[in-house]
Amino acid sequence: MTELLQNLIDGLGRGSIYALLALGVAVIFGVMHLLNFAHGELITVSGYAAMWALTSGVSWWLAVPLIIVVSIATSLVIERVAFSRVRGASDFTLLLTSFGVHFVVQAIFLLYVSASVKNFPRPGWVSNTYSIGSLKVEWFDTVVILVTLITLAAVTYLLQRTMFGLSLRAAAADFDTARLMGVNSNNVIRGAFALSGLLAGIAGVFWLMRAGQTQPSAGIDPMLKGVLAALIGGLGSLRGAVLGGFVLGLAEVVLRSQLPDSIASLTEGVVFALIALLFIFRPGGLITVAHAERV
Amino acid sequence: MGRLIPNVKRDVTFPAIGSILLFVAFVGAGLVYQSFFGGAGERLVTIALIDAILVLAIQIYVGNTGVLSFGHIGFGAIAGYVFAVLAIPSEQKLERIADAPFGLASIDMNPWIALVIAAVVTVAFAFIIGLGLGRSGAESGSVAATVITLALLFVTHEVARNWPDLTGGDRAGLAFPIRGSLDSRIPIYLALFGAIVVARLYAQSRSGRLAVAAREDNLAARAMGVNPLVQQMSALLISVVVVSVGASLRVYENGSILPDNFFFDLTLLTLVMLIVGGRNSVTGAMVGVGVMTIGRELARRLGQDGFEIFGIGLDSAPLDWIFRENLQTVFLGVAMLGFMIWRPSGLLDDWELDEWLYQRFGRGADPKPDTLPEVDAVNAETLRAADVEVSFGGFKALDGAGLEASGNEVVGIIGPNGAGKTTLVNVITGMVAPTGGNFSIDGNDLSSAPPFTLARSGLVRTFQNLRLFGALTVRENVEISALVAADHRKGRVLPDADSLVAEAGLWEHRDRRASELDYGNSRRLELARAAALAPSFLLLDEPTSGMSDSESLTMIEQVRHMAATVGAGVIVIDHDLAFINGISDRIYALDQGRVIASGTPAEIQADPLVQAAYLGTAAT
Repeated sequence: MTELLQNLIDGLGRGSIYALLALGVAVIFGVMHLLNFAHGELITVSGYAAMWALTSGVSWWLAVPLIIVVSIATSLVIERVAFSRVRGASDFTLLLTSFGVHFVVQAIFLLYVSASVKNFPRPGWVSNTYSIGSLKVEWFDTVVILVTLITLAAVTYLLQRTMFGLSLRAAAADFDTARLMGVNSNNVIRGAFALSGLLAGIAGVFWLMRAGQTQPSAGIDPMLKGVLAALIGGLGSLRGAVLGGFVLGLAEVVLRSQLPDSIASLTEGVVFALIALLFIFRPGGLITVAHAERV
Repeated sequence: MGRLIPNVKRDVTFPAIGSILLFVAFVGAGLVYQSFFGGAGERLVTIALIDAILVLAIQIYVGNTGVLSFGHIGFGAIAGYVFAVLAIPSEQKLERIADAPFGLASIDMNPWIALVIAAVVTVAFAFIIGLGLGRSGAESGSVAATVITLALLFVTHEVARNWPDLTGGDRAGLAFPIRGSLDSRIPIYLALFGAIVVARLYAQSRSGRLAVAAREDNLAARAMGVNPLVQQMSALLISVVVVSVGASLRVYENGSILPDNFFFDLTLLTLVMLIVGGRNSVTGAMVGVGVMTIGRELARRLGQDGFEIFGIGLDSAPLDWIFRENLQTVFLGVAMLGFMIWRPSGLLDDWELDEWLYQRFGRGADPKPDTLPEVDAVNAETLRAADVEVSFGGFKALDGAGLEASGNEVVGIIGPNGAGKTTLVNVITGMVAPTGGNFSIDGNDLSSAPPFTLARSGLVRTFQNLRLFGALTVRENVEISALVAADHRKGRVLPDADSLVAEAGLWEHRDRRASELDYGNSRRLELARAAALAPSFLLLDEPTSGMSDSESLTMIEQVRHMAATVGAGVIVIDHDLAFINGISDRIYALDQGRVIASGTPAEIQADPLVQAAYLGTAAT
């Protein structure tokens, strides 16, 4: 029982980060039908910015806003340089464009920094814990979960109560009709990339605090988690993306602690097998979005 | 096999000749290259030959199905490890993986048997993955399928790293006693030639063509009796066999395998090669391998030595910021991005060497076929739909509508906008699931069958908003239906595809892409494509929309004649009352999801309810 509760807390902490990443992926999928394989590059770029700042003596308190700002800026630059040129292209083109962006960003750091892992100091409190009864809770997980809940509440407010949110949801539901109704497509798409950058930035802060290092290929892992979580939740559903993030985080933590030692190192493989099963029995993900085609 | 291939010369002979030419050209270029650059060049060419096998494998799946796959290198990893674990002599294995399960460490196996087993095991994996791919692809589009392939790539990598008992782990890996153990190129040549032939023949085969139809328009393909899941699965399994061979050869040639050998770098490389050349073409894939091998080698050398490799002795300082190590990775990424933005279909698009040769030398006169005789036999089947209900949320699009049509008449459906006409056709062709009621042909209930089953049972439709297979030629569009008909409409008079093209007045456009046709011709092609299935009932959704008055009058004759040549009953929706009255034997008038009147055109015109629905006057 205690172990399960422990898993639950750990899983929620991990899942929170995945949920933020997945939501960022889902927002862009909504407005552009683009599944962004370059989403993790926001963390790569802001990771190098953090590394540069932290190793030149800047404190984490300043690094946090820096990471978020760099993430948003990178998201907007990528949209401008690459994605704005392929709007409305086929799924195939969109997917490979984002894959290309992923590689170009990675290659730039390979070319101009180095292929090796760069370390930077982690904030001291990251591994501190406190106890509730027999439970050991990390301060880090507590902060992650709280910040994520606040962020999700703010995003919900943004989407439900503001003009921008309404345009974004309208565009996600039916982009062409939204445009006909006077929604400015440029603003909505750029806004979506900024929002996605913000969410990746917040997730990136936590990701980097825990990792304490970065490298050219650092974006692969967060990208994969975000994209998979969005898919598990149901592509096209913002709520599904958040749900998918938490489900993925919980599944990883629970499996890692419950699997017998001999195959514990293969957790990722088992998680994937479960995801594959999910798609065989529930091909649209947890929250299936109807894709009615006009005939 | 008893299956109809429309044209042996075009679909077998010329592709085989083309494959030989491609192989000779590619290998010849490699031999010339290595004669200039010696030992290092030889190695580069060997790698390029193996890369070509992998790229062709990906082309078989990606090109024919249109689904982007990152997973083929993951399948390659599975095959590579199975091959290595079986083929590496036990002496080496006992040093590294003595604890491998099933006593694998003490097996000594002939490499060629190991290769076959590797392919079989990988295909078994692919079959399971393919089920998930197909299901989620059908539900959420090809994007979902792509993510699954990406996840597969990561998981194979992750498992290879974390299962050292089997794979030798992250650092050591598995190795043959001598590196470069493959001392002859003959197996690589054979495999490459095989891969080219398989790729070309598959593309021209029945399965390949149906897969391409689904790639162009999944819904239309299903409406023509194609089950895309079956075709995508066969493309996947064939491509995985080829990828297994390529991967095993790569391991053998390398003399070792590490998890990173089959991961992102190789995925990027093979995909860029495919994209640059043109993913829809086998010739393009080969060109892409050649161009990118040379380009990458150039980038690598420039990155290493700057301009000095050209021996010009220029002061290269101004370009030092670009000629740095790892330049080739930048080169690959930029090439992918550039092609996606400016030329997503690649250098060759879907141009094929053997198709070009066939058009120039193989086709002969290609005379216009005779018009088709009308079928004598009366189609005695009866379509009956009763009490059909469809609700979208709270809105009842159909509220107990029904109709009856026999195989030798033309039945019109009229009604104001929103009356439920198209929804009724959608229900009868399986595109919308009815929430109530049923429909049947001669008493066989078909209410819950998927679209492709209904099409095979004889209920074939055209689309109001035009859904042709855009990249295929006019002729090929009709041939898709003819292929399905040959398998599933046995016992009926099957019309000749070319004759139907001529019948529709499209003979001079026969080799143009469907996407290039104007509106009227597109509608006539929709009609011909549907008729080629030899349907029991043709359901035409606004066949004259967008046509001029004179065009729609000729359409009456065309529809009637084409239906008579294939022996089909016709159910037609249109807004054009002159057209409907001219073509129909009987008419159903729909309003608000219900049939408000039925009868001959004259009776319907005189019906007060119909007049009320159309003109808004109060019914008495």
